[in-house]
Amino acid sequence: MLHSPALRTAALQPRGVLVRTHRVAVQRAARLAALLVGLILLGGCATPPSNDPEALEAYKEANDPLEPMNRYFFELNYAADELLFKPLAGWYYVALPNFAQDGVRNVLRNVRSPVVLANDLFQGETDRAGVTVSRFLVNSTMGIGGLFDIASRMGLEYHDEDFGQTLAVHGVGEGPYLMLPLLGPSNPRDAAGRVVDMLFDPLTYIGIFAVDNIGLGAAVVDGVDTRARNLKTLDEIRKGSLDYYATIRSLYRQRRNDEINNGKTPEGGAPGLGDDQQSARPAGYAQVSAAEPLVPRRPKLAKALPLFIIKEPAGPLPALPQP
Amino acid sequence: MTAMRVIRTLLFAIAFAFVAAPAGADDANPAASAFMQSLGSHAIKELTDPAVAQSERQARFRMLLDEHFDMGAIAKFTLGRYWRTATDEQRTEFRTLFEDFIVQSYSARFSEYHGQGFAVSGSNATDGGTIVVHTRIDMPSSEDVRVDWHLRKTDSSFAIVDIVVEGVSMAVTQRSEFASVIQSRGGVAGLLDALRAKNAQSADSSAAQQ
Repeated sequence: MLHSPALRTAALQPRGVLVRTHRVAVQRAARLAALLVGLILLGGCATPPSNDPEALEAYKEANDPLEPMNRYFFELNYAADELLFKPLAGWYYVALPNFAQDGVRNVLRNVRSPVVLANDLFQGETDRAGVTVSRFLVNSTMGIGGLFDIASRMGLEYHDEDFGQTLAVHGVGEGPYLMLPLLGPSNPRDAAGRVVDMLFDPLTYIGIFAVDNIGLGAAVVDGVDTRARNLKTLDEIRKGSLDYYATIRSLYRQRRNDEINNGKTPEGGAPGLGDDQQSARPAGYAQVSAAEPLVPRRPKLAKALPLFIIKEPAGPLPALPQP
Repeated sequence: MTAMRVIRTLLFAIAFAFVAAPAGADDANPAASAFMQSLGSHAIKELTDPAVAQSERQARFRMLLDEHFDMGAIAKFTLGRYWRTATDEQRTEFRTLFEDFIVQSYSARFSEYHGQGFAVSGSNATDGGTIVVHTRIDMPSSEDVRVDWHLRKTDSSFAIVDIVVEGVSMAVTQRSEFASVIQSRGGVAGLLDALRAKNAQSADSSAAQQ
Protein backbone atom coordinates (compact mmCIF):
# COMPACT_ATOMS: atom_id res chain seq x y z
CA MET A 1 0.00 0.00 0.00
CA LEU A 2 2.99 2.16 0.19
CA HIS A 3 2.71 2.38 -3.53
CA SER A 4 -0.63 4.06 -3.29
CA PRO A 5 -0.17 7.77 -3.90
CA ALA A 6 -3.34 8.53 -1.99
CA LEU A 7 -2.00 6.88 1.12
CA ARG A 8 1.42 8.31 0.84
CA THR A 9 -0.01 11.77 0.69
CA ALA A 10 -2.39 11.03 3.50
CA ALA A 11 0.49 10.16 5.73
CA LEU A 12 1.89 13.63 5.30
CA GLN A 13 -1.33 15.49 5.76
CA PRO A 14 -3.57 16.49 8.60
CA ARG A 15 -6.20 14.10 9.79
CA GLY A 16 -9.17 15.31 7.80
CA VAL A 17 -7.76 13.86 4.65
CA LEU A 18 -7.88 10.40 6.10
CA VAL A 19 -11.58 10.13 5.55
CA ARG A 20 -11.06 9.90 1.86
CA THR A 21 -8.42 7.24 2.13
CA HIS A 22 -10.78 5.16 4.23
CA ARG A 23 -13.16 5.16 1.34
CA VAL A 24 -10.40 4.14 -1.01
CA ALA A 25 -9.49 1.31 1.27
CA VAL A 26 -13.06 0.12 1.55
CA GLN A 27 -13.41 0.11 -2.20
CA ARG A 28 -10.21 -1.76 -2.54
CA ALA A 29 -11.24 -4.32 0.05
CA ALA A 30 -14.54 -4.78 -1.71
CA ARG A 31 -12.74 -5.39 -4.97
CA LEU A 32 -10.48 -7.92 -3.29
CA ALA A 33 -13.46 -9.70 -1.75
CA ALA A 34 -15.14 -9.84 -5.15
CA LEU A 35 -11.99 -11.32 -6.61
CA LEU A 36 -11.87 -13.99 -3.92
CA VAL A 37 -15.49 -14.94 -4.44
CA GLY A 38 -14.80 -15.12 -8.15
CA LEU A 39 -11.85 -17.41 -7.58
CA ILE A 40 -13.95 -19.70 -5.43
CA LEU A 41 -16.69 -19.89 -8.05
CA LEU A 42 -14.17 -20.40 -10.83
CA GLY A 43 -13.29 -23.95 -10.07
CA GLY A 44 -11.83 -23.37 -6.65
CA CYS A 45 -14.04 -26.23 -5.55
CA ALA A 46 -12.95 -29.81 -5.56
CA THR A 47 -15.51 -32.18 -6.99
CA PRO A 48 -16.50 -34.87 -4.54
CA PRO A 49 -15.60 -38.32 -5.84
CA SER A 50 -18.84 -40.03 -6.76
CA ASN A 51 -18.02 -43.63 -7.60
CA ASP A 52 -15.50 -44.67 -4.97
CA PRO A 53 -16.89 -44.98 -1.43
CA GLU A 54 -13.40 -45.00 0.13
CA ALA A 55 -12.49 -41.81 -1.67
CA LEU A 56 -15.78 -40.21 -0.72
CA GLU A 57 -15.15 -41.08 2.91
CA ALA A 58 -11.69 -39.52 2.74
CA TYR A 59 -13.15 -36.45 1.07
CA LYS A 60 -15.64 -35.98 3.89
CA GLU A 61 -13.01 -36.52 6.54
CA ALA A 62 -10.73 -33.88 5.07
CA ASN A 63 -13.69 -31.44 5.12
CA ASP A 64 -11.89 -29.29 2.60
CA PRO A 65 -14.15 -28.70 -0.41
CA LEU A 66 -12.12 -25.65 -1.42
CA GLU A 67 -8.88 -27.60 -1.40
CA PRO A 68 -7.56 -26.46 -4.80
CA MET A 69 -8.00 -22.81 -3.88
CA ASN A 70 -6.70 -23.40 -0.37
CA ARG A 71 -3.59 -25.08 -1.72
CA TYR A 72 -3.07 -22.14 -4.02
CA PHE A 73 -3.15 -19.66 -1.13
CA PHE A 74 -1.02 -21.99 0.95
CA GLU A 75 1.68 -21.77 -1.71
CA LEU A 76 1.36 -17.99 -1.85
CA ASN A 77 1.59 -17.73 1.92
CA TYR A 78 4.61 -19.95 1.90
CA ALA A 79 6.32 -17.73 -0.65
CA ALA A 80 5.48 -14.59 1.33
CA ASP A 81 6.82 -16.26 4.44
CA GLU A 82 10.10 -17.21 2.82
CA LEU A 83 10.59 -13.80 1.24
CA LEU A 84 9.42 -11.51 3.98
CA PHE A 85 8.12 -12.82 7.26
CA LYS A 86 10.72 -15.44 7.99
CA PRO A 87 13.70 -13.13 7.41
CA LEU A 88 12.03 -10.46 9.53
CA ALA A 89 11.45 -12.92 12.33
CA GLY A 90 15.02 -14.12 11.97
CA TRP A 91 16.38 -10.64 12.54
CA TYR A 92 14.13 -10.13 15.50
CA TYR A 93 15.26 -13.43 16.95
CA VAL A 94 18.91 -12.55 16.56
CA ALA A 95 18.67 -8.91 17.57
CA LEU A 96 16.69 -9.26 20.79
CA PRO A 97 17.85 -11.28 23.76
CA ASN A 98 15.42 -13.88 25.10
CA PHE A 99 14.29 -11.85 28.09
CA ALA A 100 13.41 -8.94 25.81
CA GLN A 101 11.37 -11.21 23.57
CA ASP A 102 9.54 -12.51 26.61
CA GLY A 103 8.88 -8.95 27.70
CA VAL A 104 7.38 -8.16 24.33
CA ARG A 105 5.10 -11.14 24.53
CA ASN A 106 4.09 -10.42 28.10
CA VAL A 107 3.05 -6.88 27.23
CA LEU A 108 1.06 -8.04 24.22
CA ARG A 109 -0.71 -10.68 26.27
CA ASN A 110 -1.48 -8.20 28.99
CA VAL A 111 -3.17 -5.71 26.69
CA ARG A 112 -5.18 -8.52 25.19
CA SER A 113 -6.69 -9.39 28.58
CA PRO A 114 -10.09 -7.78 27.84
CA VAL A 115 -10.54 -10.08 24.84
CA VAL A 116 -9.68 -13.15 26.87
CA LEU A 117 -11.87 -12.01 29.77
CA ALA A 118 -14.88 -11.38 27.55
CA ASN A 119 -14.59 -14.84 26.06
CA ASP A 120 -14.02 -16.49 29.45
CA LEU A 121 -17.31 -14.95 30.52
CA PHE A 122 -19.15 -15.84 27.32
CA GLN A 123 -18.16 -19.43 27.93
CA GLY A 124 -19.31 -19.32 31.55
CA GLU A 125 -15.78 -20.01 32.77
CA THR A 126 -15.90 -17.83 35.85
CA ASP A 127 -12.79 -19.35 37.44
CA ARG A 128 -10.76 -18.65 34.38
CA ALA A 129 -12.23 -15.17 34.12
CA GLY A 130 -10.99 -14.62 37.66
CA VAL A 131 -7.54 -15.75 36.65
CA THR A 132 -7.56 -13.36 33.73
CA VAL A 133 -8.57 -10.42 35.94
CA SER A 134 -6.01 -11.28 38.60
CA ARG A 135 -3.28 -11.68 36.05
CA PHE A 136 -4.10 -8.32 34.56
CA LEU A 137 -4.05 -6.60 37.96
CA VAL A 138 -0.84 -8.24 39.12
CA ASN A 139 1.08 -7.88 35.89
CA SER A 140 -0.02 -4.31 35.22
CA THR A 141 1.22 -3.21 38.64
CA MET A 142 3.98 -5.43 39.95
CA GLY A 143 4.81 -6.56 36.44
CA ILE A 144 5.38 -2.95 35.41
CA GLY A 145 2.74 -2.50 32.77
CA GLY A 146 2.77 -6.15 31.82
CA LEU A 147 6.45 -6.35 31.05
CA PHE A 148 7.01 -9.15 33.56
CA ASP A 149 4.69 -12.07 34.01
CA ILE A 150 4.73 -12.09 37.80
CA ALA A 151 1.29 -13.70 37.91
CA SER A 152 2.54 -16.95 36.37
CA ARG A 153 5.00 -17.33 39.19
CA MET A 154 2.09 -17.00 41.59
CA GLY A 155 0.30 -19.86 39.92
CA LEU A 156 -1.93 -17.69 37.76
CA GLU A 157 -1.03 -19.16 34.43
CA TYR A 158 -1.84 -17.53 31.15
CA HIS A 159 -4.58 -18.95 29.00
CA ASP A 160 -5.93 -17.83 25.70
CA GLU A 161 -9.52 -17.51 24.59
CA ASP A 162 -11.13 -16.14 21.47
CA PHE A 163 -14.59 -15.80 20.04
CA GLY A 164 -14.08 -18.70 17.64
CA GLN A 165 -13.70 -20.91 20.72
CA THR A 166 -16.72 -19.30 22.33
CA LEU A 167 -18.82 -20.10 19.27
CA ALA A 168 -17.54 -23.68 19.35
CA VAL A 169 -18.41 -24.05 23.03
CA HIS A 170 -21.94 -23.00 22.16
CA GLY A 171 -22.19 -25.61 19.47
CA VAL A 172 -21.26 -23.78 16.29
CA GLY A 173 -19.49 -26.11 13.87
CA GLU A 174 -16.22 -25.12 12.27
CA GLY A 175 -17.36 -25.36 8.65
CA PRO A 176 -15.01 -26.18 5.82
CA TYR A 177 -11.29 -25.62 6.13
CA LEU A 178 -10.10 -22.28 4.79
CA MET A 179 -6.61 -21.14 3.97
CA LEU A 180 -6.77 -17.38 4.11
CA PRO A 181 -4.31 -15.34 2.09
CA LEU A 182 -1.67 -14.00 4.51
CA LEU A 183 -3.76 -14.90 7.54
CA GLY A 184 -3.19 -18.63 7.33
CA PRO A 185 -5.29 -21.63 8.30
CA SER A 186 -8.84 -20.97 9.45
CA ASN A 187 -12.47 -21.81 8.92
CA PRO A 188 -15.63 -19.69 8.76
CA ARG A 189 -16.28 -19.98 12.48
CA ASP A 190 -12.80 -18.91 13.56
CA ALA A 191 -12.55 -16.19 10.94
CA ALA A 192 -15.82 -14.67 12.15
CA GLY A 193 -14.60 -15.02 15.73
CA ARG A 194 -11.56 -12.90 15.01
CA VAL A 195 -13.75 -10.06 13.77
CA VAL A 196 -15.75 -10.15 17.00
CA ASP A 197 -12.59 -10.27 19.11
CA MET A 198 -11.45 -7.01 17.57
CA LEU A 199 -14.47 -5.38 19.15
CA PHE A 200 -13.19 -6.38 22.59
CA ASP A 201 -9.67 -5.36 21.90
CA PRO A 202 -8.94 -1.95 23.40
CA LEU A 203 -6.18 -1.46 20.87
CA THR A 204 -8.77 -1.40 18.13
CA TYR A 205 -10.24 1.74 19.65
CA ILE A 206 -7.00 3.36 20.61
CA GLY A 207 -6.07 2.88 17.01
CA ILE A 208 -9.16 4.70 15.90
CA PHE A 209 -9.54 7.55 18.38
CA ALA A 210 -6.13 8.47 19.69
CA VAL A 211 -2.92 7.52 18.00
CA ASP A 212 -3.18 5.81 14.71
CA ASN A 213 -1.82 2.32 14.36
CA ILE A 214 -1.35 1.18 17.91
CA GLY A 215 -3.30 -1.92 17.05
CA LEU A 216 -1.40 -2.42 13.85
CA GLY A 217 1.92 -1.98 15.56
CA ALA A 218 1.01 -4.49 18.23
CA ALA A 219 -0.19 -6.96 15.64
CA VAL A 220 2.98 -6.63 13.62
CA VAL A 221 5.18 -7.12 16.65
CA ASP A 222 3.07 -10.04 17.81
CA GLY A 223 3.31 -11.66 14.41
CA VAL A 224 7.06 -11.28 14.24
CA ASP A 225 7.51 -12.52 17.81
CA THR A 226 5.34 -15.53 17.17
CA ARG A 227 7.06 -16.42 13.96
CA ALA A 228 10.45 -16.06 15.61
CA ARG A 229 9.46 -18.62 18.21
CA ASN A 230 8.71 -21.12 15.47
CA LEU A 231 11.57 -20.70 13.09
CA LYS A 232 13.00 -24.16 13.51
CA THR A 233 9.82 -26.01 14.28
CA LEU A 234 8.07 -25.11 11.08
CA ASP A 235 11.11 -25.94 9.00
CA GLU A 236 11.34 -29.34 10.63
CA ILE A 237 7.68 -30.02 10.07
CA ARG A 238 7.99 -29.16 6.43
CA LYS A 239 11.07 -31.28 5.95
CA GLY A 240 9.43 -34.21 7.70
CA SER A 241 6.22 -34.08 5.68
CA LEU A 242 5.13 -35.89 2.57
CA ASP A 243 2.26 -33.45 2.17
CA TYR A 244 2.96 -30.27 4.11
CA TYR A 245 -0.44 -28.79 3.33
CA ALA A 246 -2.32 -31.82 4.69
CA THR A 247 -0.10 -31.88 7.77
CA ILE A 248 -0.79 -28.24 8.58
CA ARG A 249 -4.49 -28.76 8.02
CA SER A 250 -4.55 -31.59 10.51
CA LEU A 251 -2.40 -29.72 13.03
CA TYR A 252 -4.60 -26.64 12.88
CA ARG A 253 -7.79 -28.61 13.52
CA GLN A 254 -6.40 -30.66 16.36
CA ARG A 255 -4.85 -27.65 17.99
CA ARG A 256 -8.09 -25.67 17.79
CA ASN A 257 -10.06 -28.55 19.29
CA ASP A 258 -7.59 -28.72 22.13
CA GLU A 259 -7.97 -25.00 22.75
CA ILE A 260 -11.74 -25.24 22.63
CA ASN A 261 -11.62 -27.98 25.25
CA ASN A 262 -9.16 -25.91 27.25
CA GLY A 263 -6.61 -28.68 27.07
CA LYS A 264 -8.88 -31.25 28.64
CA THR A 265 -9.68 -34.54 27.04
CA PRO A 266 -13.23 -34.21 25.83
CA GLU A 267 -14.42 -37.71 26.81
CA GLY A 268 -14.42 -36.76 30.43
CA GLY A 269 -10.95 -37.95 31.24
CA ALA A 270 -7.60 -36.45 31.94
CA PRO A 271 -8.09 -33.65 34.36
CA GLY A 272 -4.50 -33.56 35.59
CA LEU A 273 -3.10 -31.04 33.21
CA GLY A 274 -6.32 -29.33 32.58
CA ASP A 275 -5.35 -25.72 32.46
CA ASP A 276 -4.22 -24.90 29.11
CA GLN A 277 -1.03 -23.51 28.61
CA GLN A 278 -0.81 -22.44 25.25
CA SER A 279 2.04 -22.86 23.11
CA ALA A 280 2.09 -25.21 20.30
CA ARG A 281 0.25 -23.50 17.61
CA PRO A 282 0.88 -25.48 14.55
CA ALA A 283 -0.89 -23.13 12.28
CA GLY A 284 2.06 -21.73 10.55
CA TYR A 285 1.35 -18.65 8.65
CA ALA A 286 -1.35 -17.20 10.76
CA GLN A 287 0.97 -15.33 13.04
CA VAL A 288 3.22 -14.33 10.29
CA SER A 289 0.68 -12.39 8.45
CA ALA A 290 0.86 -9.70 11.04
CA ALA A 291 4.15 -8.72 9.63
CA GLU A 292 2.42 -6.73 6.99
CA PRO A 293 3.97 -3.68 5.50
CA LEU A 294 4.34 -0.86 7.94
CA VAL A 295 2.22 1.83 6.48
CA PRO A 296 1.83 5.10 8.26
CA ARG A 297 -1.76 6.03 8.97
CA ARG A 298 -3.27 2.87 7.73
CA PRO A 299 -6.97 3.14 7.01
CA LYS A 300 -9.24 1.52 9.51
CA LEU A 301 -10.40 -1.45 7.53
CA ALA A 302 -6.97 -2.43 6.37
CA LYS A 303 -5.63 -1.86 9.83
CA ALA A 304 -8.10 -4.30 11.22
CA LEU A 305 -6.80 -7.17 9.14
CA PRO A 306 -3.60 -7.91 11.02
CA LEU A 307 -5.56 -8.09 14.24
CA PHE A 308 -7.20 -11.21 12.96
CA ILE A 309 -4.12 -13.07 13.67
CA ILE A 310 -3.23 -12.19 17.17
CA LYS A 311 -2.26 -15.65 18.21
CA GLU A 312 0.65 -17.43 19.49
CA PRO A 313 1.83 -20.28 17.42
CA ALA A 314 3.72 -23.22 18.13
CA GLY A 315 6.23 -23.55 20.75
CA PRO A 316 8.75 -26.12 20.01
CA LEU A 317 7.11 -29.47 19.72
CA PRO A 318 9.35 -32.39 20.31
CA ALA A 319 7.80 -34.36 17.55
CA LEU A 320 5.71 -31.86 15.71
CA PRO A 321 5.96 -30.08 12.49
CA GLN A 322 5.17 -26.57 11.30
CA PRO A 323 5.77 -24.19 8.45
CA MET B 1 -2.17 4.97 48.61
CA THR B 2 -0.62 3.38 45.60
CA ALA B 3 1.34 1.09 47.84
CA MET B 4 -1.86 0.08 49.59
CA ARG B 5 -3.46 -0.70 46.32
CA VAL B 6 -0.54 -2.82 45.22
CA ILE B 7 -0.62 -4.75 48.46
CA ARG B 8 -4.33 -5.31 48.20
CA THR B 9 -3.95 -6.56 44.65
CA LEU B 10 -1.19 -8.84 45.75
CA LEU B 11 -3.24 -10.31 48.59
CA PHE B 12 -6.17 -10.80 46.30
CA ALA B 13 -4.01 -12.53 43.75
CA ILE B 14 -2.45 -14.81 46.32
CA ALA B 15 -5.80 -15.70 47.79
CA PHE B 16 -7.06 -16.39 44.34
CA ALA B 17 -4.11 -18.55 43.50
CA PHE B 18 -5.02 -20.85 46.36
CA VAL B 19 -8.66 -21.04 45.38
CA ALA B 20 -7.86 -21.67 41.76
CA ALA B 21 -5.05 -24.11 42.41
CA PRO B 22 -5.97 -27.41 40.80
CA ALA B 23 -6.49 -30.37 43.06
CA GLY B 24 -3.66 -32.87 43.01
CA ALA B 25 -3.55 -34.73 39.72
CA ASP B 26 -4.96 -38.23 39.73
CA ASP B 27 -2.69 -41.11 39.13
CA ALA B 28 -4.91 -44.00 38.15
CA ASN B 29 -2.05 -46.18 37.06
CA PRO B 30 1.16 -45.60 38.99
CA ALA B 31 2.91 -48.42 37.14
CA ALA B 32 2.33 -46.67 33.82
CA SER B 33 3.51 -43.38 35.29
CA ALA B 34 6.66 -45.00 36.59
CA PHE B 35 7.25 -46.58 33.20
CA MET B 36 6.98 -43.21 31.46
CA GLN B 37 9.11 -41.42 34.00
CA SER B 38 11.94 -43.84 33.57
CA LEU B 39 11.58 -44.09 29.79
CA GLY B 40 11.35 -40.31 29.48
CA SER B 41 14.50 -39.60 31.47
CA HIS B 42 16.31 -42.36 29.65
CA ALA B 43 15.21 -41.15 26.21
CA ILE B 44 16.15 -37.54 26.91
CA LYS B 45 19.59 -38.63 28.00
CA GLU B 46 20.06 -40.90 24.99
CA LEU B 47 18.65 -38.71 22.26
CA THR B 48 19.31 -35.10 23.11
CA ASP B 49 23.02 -35.17 23.73
CA PRO B 50 24.35 -32.69 21.16
CA ALA B 51 27.67 -34.50 21.03
CA VAL B 52 26.10 -37.62 19.55
CA ALA B 53 26.40 -38.04 15.79
CA GLN B 54 23.19 -38.05 13.83
CA SER B 55 23.60 -41.64 12.67
CA GLU B 56 24.11 -42.81 16.22
CA ARG B 57 21.08 -40.82 17.34
CA GLN B 58 18.98 -42.47 14.67
CA ALA B 59 20.15 -45.90 15.73
CA ARG B 60 19.27 -45.17 19.36
CA PHE B 61 15.89 -43.77 18.40
CA ARG B 62 15.12 -46.86 16.33
CA MET B 63 15.98 -49.07 19.26
CA LEU B 64 13.65 -47.12 21.53
CA LEU B 65 10.89 -47.37 18.94
CA ASP B 66 11.25 -51.12 18.55
CA GLU B 67 11.44 -51.72 22.23
CA HIS B 68 8.79 -49.38 23.64
CA PHE B 69 6.37 -48.51 20.85
CA ASP B 70 3.73 -50.75 19.35
CA MET B 71 4.83 -49.92 15.82
CA GLY B 72 2.55 -52.54 14.27
CA ALA B 73 -0.55 -50.98 15.80
CA ILE B 74 0.62 -47.46 14.94
CA ALA B 75 1.31 -48.35 11.32
CA LYS B 76 -2.09 -49.96 11.01
CA PHE B 77 -3.79 -46.93 12.51
CA THR B 78 -2.01 -44.44 10.28
CA LEU B 79 -3.05 -46.32 7.17
CA GLY B 80 -6.63 -46.08 8.43
CA ARG B 81 -9.29 -47.48 6.19
CA TYR B 82 -6.73 -48.29 3.52
CA TRP B 83 -5.25 -51.00 5.72
CA ARG B 84 -8.16 -53.24 4.73
CA THR B 85 -7.66 -52.82 1.01
CA ALA B 86 -3.86 -53.07 1.10
CA THR B 87 -2.31 -56.39 0.09
CA ASP B 88 -0.12 -58.33 2.51
CA GLU B 89 3.01 -57.28 0.66
CA GLN B 90 1.92 -53.65 0.80
CA ARG B 91 1.28 -53.87 4.54
CA THR B 92 4.68 -55.39 5.17
CA GLU B 93 6.45 -52.83 3.06
CA PHE B 94 4.45 -50.02 4.59
CA ARG B 95 5.51 -51.03 8.09
CA THR B 96 9.16 -50.97 7.13
CA LEU B 97 8.94 -47.68 5.23
CA PHE B 98 6.85 -46.11 7.96
CA GLU B 99 9.40 -46.87 10.64
CA ASP B 100 12.24 -45.50 8.51
CA PHE B 101 10.17 -42.42 7.82
CA ILE B 102 9.52 -41.83 11.53
CA VAL B 103 13.15 -42.37 12.44
CA GLN B 104 14.42 -39.98 9.79
CA SER B 105 11.90 -37.21 10.13
CA TYR B 106 11.84 -37.15 13.92
CA SER B 107 15.33 -37.96 15.09
CA ALA B 108 16.90 -34.75 13.79
CA ARG B 109 14.61 -32.75 16.05
CA PHE B 110 15.92 -34.24 19.25
CA SER B 111 19.28 -32.54 19.01
CA GLU B 112 17.57 -29.21 19.63
CA TYR B 113 15.98 -30.25 22.86
CA HIS B 114 18.89 -30.91 25.10
CA GLY B 115 18.51 -30.47 28.78
CA GLN B 116 14.79 -30.43 29.26
CA GLY B 117 13.18 -31.69 32.36
CA PHE B 118 10.52 -34.31 32.04
CA ALA B 119 7.86 -34.65 34.71
CA VAL B 120 4.96 -37.07 34.95
CA SER B 121 1.90 -35.44 36.43
CA GLY B 122 -0.65 -38.22 36.45
CA SER B 123 -2.41 -40.90 34.48
CA ASN B 124 -5.85 -42.19 33.71
CA ALA B 125 -7.52 -44.97 31.81
CA THR B 126 -9.60 -44.38 28.69
CA ASP B 127 -12.69 -46.16 27.44
CA GLY B 128 -10.66 -47.71 24.66
CA GLY B 129 -8.55 -49.64 27.15
CA THR B 130 -5.44 -47.53 26.76
CA ILE B 131 -3.76 -45.70 29.59
CA VAL B 132 -2.87 -42.04 29.22
CA VAL B 133 0.14 -40.74 31.11
CA HIS B 134 0.33 -36.95 31.35
CA THR B 135 3.69 -35.29 31.31
CA ARG B 136 5.19 -31.88 30.98
CA ILE B 137 8.39 -31.25 29.20
CA ASP B 138 10.17 -28.21 30.40
CA MET B 139 11.62 -26.23 27.52
CA PRO B 140 14.51 -23.93 28.32
CA SER B 141 13.48 -21.11 26.01
CA SER B 142 9.71 -21.29 26.12
CA GLU B 143 6.76 -22.49 28.11
CA ASP B 144 6.33 -26.07 29.22
CA VAL B 145 4.95 -28.41 26.63
CA ARG B 146 2.12 -30.70 27.64
CA VAL B 147 2.61 -34.22 26.31
CA ASP B 148 0.23 -37.14 26.80
CA TRP B 149 1.46 -40.67 26.18
CA HIS B 150 -1.07 -43.30 25.21
CA LEU B 151 0.00 -46.72 26.41
CA ARG B 152 -1.23 -50.23 25.91
CA LYS B 153 -0.59 -52.87 28.54
CA THR B 154 1.63 -55.67 27.37
CA ASP B 155 2.44 -58.95 29.11
CA SER B 156 5.37 -57.59 31.01
CA SER B 157 5.22 -53.82 30.63
CA PHE B 158 3.66 -51.11 28.45
CA ALA B 159 3.88 -50.12 24.79
CA ILE B 160 3.32 -46.60 23.47
CA VAL B 161 0.63 -46.31 20.82
CA ASP B 162 0.37 -42.52 20.45
CA ILE B 163 1.96 -39.28 21.58
CA VAL B 164 -0.25 -36.23 21.95
CA VAL B 165 1.56 -32.90 22.14
CA GLU B 166 -0.58 -29.96 23.23
CA GLY B 167 -3.63 -31.80 21.99
CA VAL B 168 -2.06 -32.77 18.68
CA SER B 169 -1.86 -36.50 18.12
CA MET B 170 1.10 -37.78 16.14
CA ALA B 171 -0.89 -40.76 14.92
CA VAL B 172 -3.89 -38.71 13.79
CA THR B 173 -1.68 -36.17 12.05
CA GLN B 174 0.21 -38.89 10.24
CA ARG B 175 -2.99 -40.65 9.27
CA SER B 176 -4.55 -37.60 7.71
CA GLU B 177 -1.35 -36.77 5.86
CA PHE B 178 -1.15 -40.30 4.49
CA ALA B 179 -4.82 -40.22 3.50
CA SER B 180 -4.18 -37.05 1.51
CA VAL B 181 -1.19 -38.60 -0.26
CA ILE B 182 -3.15 -41.76 -1.04
CA GLN B 183 -5.94 -39.66 -2.52
CA SER B 184 -3.72 -37.53 -4.68
CA ARG B 185 -1.47 -40.37 -5.80
CA GLY B 186 -4.14 -42.88 -6.55
CA GLY B 187 -3.87 -45.49 -3.85
CA VAL B 188 -1.62 -47.18 -1.33
CA ALA B 189 0.97 -47.92 -4.02
CA GLY B 190 1.33 -44.16 -4.52
CA LEU B 191 1.90 -43.65 -0.79
CA LEU B 192 4.58 -46.35 -0.77
CA ASP B 193 6.31 -44.61 -3.70
CA ALA B 194 6.21 -41.29 -1.88
CA LEU B 195 7.60 -42.82 1.31
CA ARG B 196 10.36 -44.59 -0.57
CA ALA B 197 11.37 -41.36 -2.30
CA LYS B 198 11.21 -39.36 0.93
CA ASN B 199 13.30 -41.85 2.87
CA ALA B 200 15.92 -41.98 0.14
CA GLN B 201 16.07 -38.18 0.07
CA SER B 202 16.40 -37.91 3.87
CA ALA B 203 19.11 -40.56 3.88
CA ASP B 204 21.01 -38.62 1.23
CA SER B 205 20.81 -35.34 3.04
CA SER B 206 21.85 -36.78 6.38
CA ALA B 207 24.74 -38.58 4.68
CA ALA B 208 25.76 -35.29 3.09
CA GLN B 209 25.88 -33.65 6.51
CA GLN B 210 28.35 -36.12 7.89
